[in-house]
Amino acid sequence: MATFSEHLRGRSDDELVRLLLRRPDLAHPSPATLASLAARATSRPSLERALAGVDAAVLQAVEAVVALLAGSTDPADGVRARDVVAAVGASRADGPAVRAALATATDLALVHPAGGRASDPLLRPAPGVAELLGPATAGLAAPAPHDPDAAAVPGLLAQAPAAGRAVLDALTWGPPVGVRPASGPAADAVTELVRAGLLVRADDRHVVLPRTVALALRDGRTHRAPATPPAPEDLPRRDPALVEAEHASAAERAVRLVAGLLRLWGQAPPVVLRAGGLGVRDLRRTAAALEITEAEAAFVVELAGVGALVRDDGEESAHHVPTTAADEWLALDLPDRWARLAAWWAATPRWAALVGTRDERGGVRPALGPELGRPWAPRLRQAVLGLLADAGPGAAPDAAAVREALAWRTPRSVPPADAVAAVLREAGWLGVLGAGALPAAGRALLDPDADPRPALAAGLGAALPPAVDDLLLQADLTGIVPGRPSQELEALLDASARVESRGGAVTVRFTPESVRDALDAGATADDLLADLASHARGGVPQPLEYLVRDAARRHGRLRAGAASSYVRTEDPALLAGLAEDPRHADLGLVRLAPTVLAAQAPLHELLSALRAHGLAPVAETPDGQVLHAAPTVRRVAAARPRFAPDEPGRGAQPPAERAAALVGVLRRAEEARAAGGSTGGAGAVVRPAAAEAAGAARADGTPTLRDRASGVAAATAAARAGRPGTGSPAGTRGGPRPSGGTADPAEALGLLREAAAGHTEVWLDVVGSRGALERRRVLPVRVDGGRVRVVDTARDAEIVVAAHRVAAVTPVGAPDADETPEPRETDTA
Amino acid sequence: MTDGPLIVQSDKTLLLEVDHDQAEACRRAIAPFAELERAPEHVHTYRLTPLGLWNARAAGHDAEQVVDTLLEYSRYPVPHALLVDVAETMSRYGRLQLVAHPVHGLVLHALDAAVLAEVLRSKRTAGLVGERIDDTDVVVHASERGTLKQALLKLGWPAEDLAGYVDGEAHPIDLDTSGESNLGTDGAPRPWQLRPYQAEAADGFWHGGSGVVVLPCGAGKTLVGAAAMARSKTTTLILVTNTVSARQWRDELIRRTSLTPDEIGEYSGSRKEIRPVTIATYQVLTLKRKGIYPHLELLDARDWGLIVYDEVHLLPAPIFRMTADLQARRRLGLTATLVREDGREDEVFSLIGPKRYDAPWKDIEAQGYIAPADCVEVRLTLPERDRMLYATAEPEDKYRLAASAPGKTEVVKRLVAKHRGEPLLVIGQYIDQLEELAADIDAPVITGGTSVTERQRLFDAFRAGEISTLVVSKVANFSIDLPEASVAIQVSGSFGSRQEEAQRLGRLLRPKGDGRTAHFYAVVARDTVDQDFAAHRQRFLAEQGYAYRIVDAEDLEQATEEPA
Repeated sequence: MATFSEHLRGRSDDELVRLLLRRPDLAHPSPATLASLAARATSRPSLERALAGVDAAVLQAVEAVVALLAGSTDPADGVRARDVVAAVGASRADGPAVRAALATATDLALVHPAGGRASDPLLRPAPGVAELLGPATAGLAAPAPHDPDAAAVPGLLAQAPAAGRAVLDALTWGPPVGVRPASGPAADAVTELVRAGLLVRADDRHVVLPRTVALALRDGRTHRAPATPPAPEDLPRRDPALVEAEHASAAERAVRLVAGLLRLWGQAPPVVLRAGGLGVRDLRRTAAALEITEAEAAFVVELAGVGALVRDDGEESAHHVPTTAADEWLALDLPDRWARLAAWWAATPRWAALVGTRDERGGVRPALGPELGRPWAPRLRQAVLGLLADAGPGAAPDAAAVREALAWRTPRSVPPADAVAAVLREAGWLGVLGAGALPAAGRALLDPDADPRPALAAGLGAALPPAVDDLLLQADLTGIVPGRPSQELEALLDASARVESRGGAVTVRFTPESVRDALDAGATADDLLADLASHARGGVPQPLEYLVRDAARRHGRLRAGAASSYVRTEDPALLAGLAEDPRHADLGLVRLAPTVLAAQAPLHELLSALRAHGLAPVAETPDGQVLHAAPTVRRVAAARPRFAPDEPGRGAQPPAERAAALVGVLRRAEEARAAGGSTGGAGAVVRPAAAEAAGAARADGTPTLRDRASGVAAATAAARAGRPGTGSPAGTRGGPRPSGGTADPAEALGLLREAAAGHTEVWLDVVGSRGALERRRVLPVRVDGGRVRVVDTARDAEIVVAAHRVAAVTPVGAPDADETPEPRETDTA
Repeated sequence: MTDGPLIVQSDKTLLLEVDHDQAEACRRAIAPFAELERAPEHVHTYRLTPLGLWNARAAGHDAEQVVDTLLEYSRYPVPHALLVDVAETMSRYGRLQLVAHPVHGLVLHALDAAVLAEVLRSKRTAGLVGERIDDTDVVVHASERGTLKQALLKLGWPAEDLAGYVDGEAHPIDLDTSGESNLGTDGAPRPWQLRPYQAEAADGFWHGGSGVVVLPCGAGKTLVGAAAMARSKTTTLILVTNTVSARQWRDELIRRTSLTPDEIGEYSGSRKEIRPVTIATYQVLTLKRKGIYPHLELLDARDWGLIVYDEVHLLPAPIFRMTADLQARRRLGLTATLVREDGREDEVFSLIGPKRYDAPWKDIEAQGYIAPADCVEVRLTLPERDRMLYATAEPEDKYRLAASAPGKTEVVKRLVAKHRGEPLLVIGQYIDQLEELAADIDAPVITGGTSVTERQRLFDAFRAGEISTLVVSKVANFSIDLPEASVAIQVSGSFGSRQEEAQRLGRLLRPKGDGRTAHFYAVVARDTVDQDFAAHRQRFLAEQGYAYRIVDAEDLEQATEEPA
């Protein structure tokens, strides 16, 4: 038999590289030795991660291995692949898939070969896996001492009352615990079954189906049927041309909405709530102005916030104001603008779907509020998009189908249905999906390490229909661009007409107000008509021309200006010359009529000036200049962008190369260790913090500071740990000190887990309550939640030790190592 | 991307490029399910509405056909959501059916038990249905047939009414195409034939059971009614808008069918006759005294086999309620437009029935049955004094002030002079303005105060060519046949209603003997609400495909030399 760490040592370099690639958390930070790698690979968080990432078939295979071995206490026990194939009820056709799943589980070091031939090994679950899967793995109860004997079960079942059969059927495939009915025929049946030994009373209200009975009922299988992936061919498919077209129109719409938001907020910024964020009423107003639902408005607002296109201006009464970054964004081409939106969306942890929901205190979460961050959000988006990509071109699964596929891919962490639906909805709004399917541009978001923007922009650029420069003007004052308007045409229509409908074409209506807006912006009737005529295929119809001329005729007949105060009199003679007096120049006097002067100065200044100077001679000043009243547009400085897409891939080295380099380092450490073992006969014993503390408590006062990142320092510490301490308790000296032991906390826990899984004894050095080291020979039972449960074999007592008190762990039966090992040189990773 | 003539917008409008080669084929293909919203010169806009799609379903089209049509003619990929929505909407029609059960009588039958459960849970259907027979059937109180249909439509599950109709009291009615009852001025019979579209409309109605026929003014809706009566051969109740219209129906029926004057009764303010064919006005039916409708029993006075609603878009709301009780009788609605200013199109759908026939104005004009028209808006600049008066007037007086601006008289005079000798109508709303105008151009005036006899006399004289110019008020708007009027001048209208404009233009669009172009002038005071209302009405005209121009009153003569 081979323990987990032995198996790991026995892996080829390629296999180790594969492991590190598939479980990247094992390589960060780089482990110093293979033993610490093994320890890390069996730690609960790492296993949790690894299990969260496997698909349903691999999980099922691991479960089957765990379930099949749940009853055994012999560390040499293992299951063969064919046992697993049979246990999951796989048909001949499914066999290879189950074997492949087992191979994956082995690659991931979730199960490991513990003996048998290399081609058909006996597999055992990695230490810690069984604990992680929980007590009723595959719906089978844990083995219990009073379970009926497996051989006797068929006989018992044959005698089981018919009424009890339904009860047994209900519990067969788990969960194995059932609530005991209080009365009625079912209660009697349960009583009967308990009497027959086919059920076991767990407590007053519950009964348990014993493992042996369940296995008999299941024909020895652990699973009803092998897990199979959902068939992608069942998904609805969309015409790729339609996908690209809808992607393009949705992308264009999203960009237009964000631009609309910036324009809207630039003119009338909404206030920032005291606790941060955008008020419900302001959101509603924004939604109405953009003509979208509040949910979509929240999404648009969040998108602008993520890109730092808007932010809190930080003033005393704070407002959400577009930033200078917004101007940069607005200056980009449509595809580039969209590429930024899509990249922001993919990378942000902010979850816009939370806007409007209530938090724990019952308050409504506002858009742009502080509570919208969800760290899993980018991963979920990635997972959903990746799934759509894998489903093939044009596949448009609904939220339920996506969730089902995700449940297959990562059965241990299935996202909630509404989160999946939210991703699909937002992706649809944004145009990352078209008609529910992934367009070419959307694939750019699949690689989290690359900068997606160039590919996004290129994808959208290819999907956008060619721009049309034609305008059909009609007598009912509408105009139609039969396609996507060119930028120039769009600008012209934007300035002079109201959009009535969008889609494949754009229809606009010219109204007196829309034409007036164009005139307000500085156009003249002739300019406007010439511009329209240059685009209009059939000329400008008479009613439209009349409308423009009529609007121009009325335009500017009223003039308005700004003044702070005025002077008025019945007698023009009194005002004569007042405005032109140079002494009044700072008053900014303007003569509006013979009897009216307007002044730029505040009223009090005007009054005191008039009093001081009296009346003055006459002159003329130029004025009456038309002010094209440009709306005040506010800006504040851009905050540090929340998404920094300018850095390309985060690591300089591709992951595969890094993993290969790391394996090299580990191998050298292993060789060094082997070399040390042959000369000194001792393995590296690394001292954990507890031992350190114990050492420090000793009288010798040896400086024990150590740099954990440095392998050299660690080895030095190991050397110290091996030195017999003065005044240490007898227990420390009493036991032998074999090699293969460890004092590194993680490694120590790994060894304990391994021992618990393999039912082997270890020497356990524990820091006692007075700071003294004690050594016991123990059989670890369970390592969980920072505590180690062990059976002290000498005293035959079960004790629980806090993990931080474990100073060192050494397997029993390792060669005698009661000598101080030589400090070794170890390469630092 | 194909090169089709149709652009499908995501807001469910369809843009049809009319100059495209396939435009005509496409128009025919989409007409059954899409409502024509506007038809200006280059691009016609259709809209997909639930009612339109259900109309199509009622006419036997299915969602697949609709989707195929859209895909076939669309230039760009059709938004997927829209196709899904079309299929979804269309699948809702007919999942519930009203059927006559041999044992339980009128029964609401569901093809889908869940739908029935859903509608029965709603408050809207409470009290309208009786005992539940099984999962898919529930008894309906016969008197609530109409109300239930209305409620179901509101719930989005329009029921298909398969419960059939009572036969009604039989009465022989035939079309008299020999012309025996339609003698010409020389005393010889003038044989005639139904126009093809009239026959199609009558067929469409008859096969559908009940429903609405949409034909432009002047396209001969009365004859469609007569043809339907000849199919039904039962006693018939005809509901019309006013007395003059009632008389015209009566005359037309006598001329075109085997009915004799004795068989046709008039039920109006002045006469209360109930005969096998009775023509009643909406007004008398909706007359309310002491909280009750005294004339409502007319509806039950005979066992009517057919009820004809003239100008169904004007049907007053109380008539809807009464109509709800008449669901067992065949109902024919006649109208020029399904657009109702009050937005009650859905009640027409559920209570009269789905659209059974529709022909756009332009088509019938192209077939030569109605005259082409030239529409001109004349803008009159108000003199300084009037502008000041207008500016300072109370808001409620502004329209009246603008509409009856004195300067309009001069413009009308010039237009009358220009079209001297042609049959010409001056239409307005304000009596004193009309009387003043009438005095100025020396023409008789017809207002609400003019007696029916006098009206008839004047109309007859106008028809005979004895009078060439007539000044009429609002009363002339509806259902008065003024053939050969080739020029109309509108000086004021009632706050810019679309259907009013349709009516007025309809006055002019009767086929002209010599194929002349009809002229429609609207005289409008510049920079006033008059102009705003006019803009609203004109939009409707332009949307209907009538070219219109705007000229300044000062440039009137030269601008109207060359008709557009």
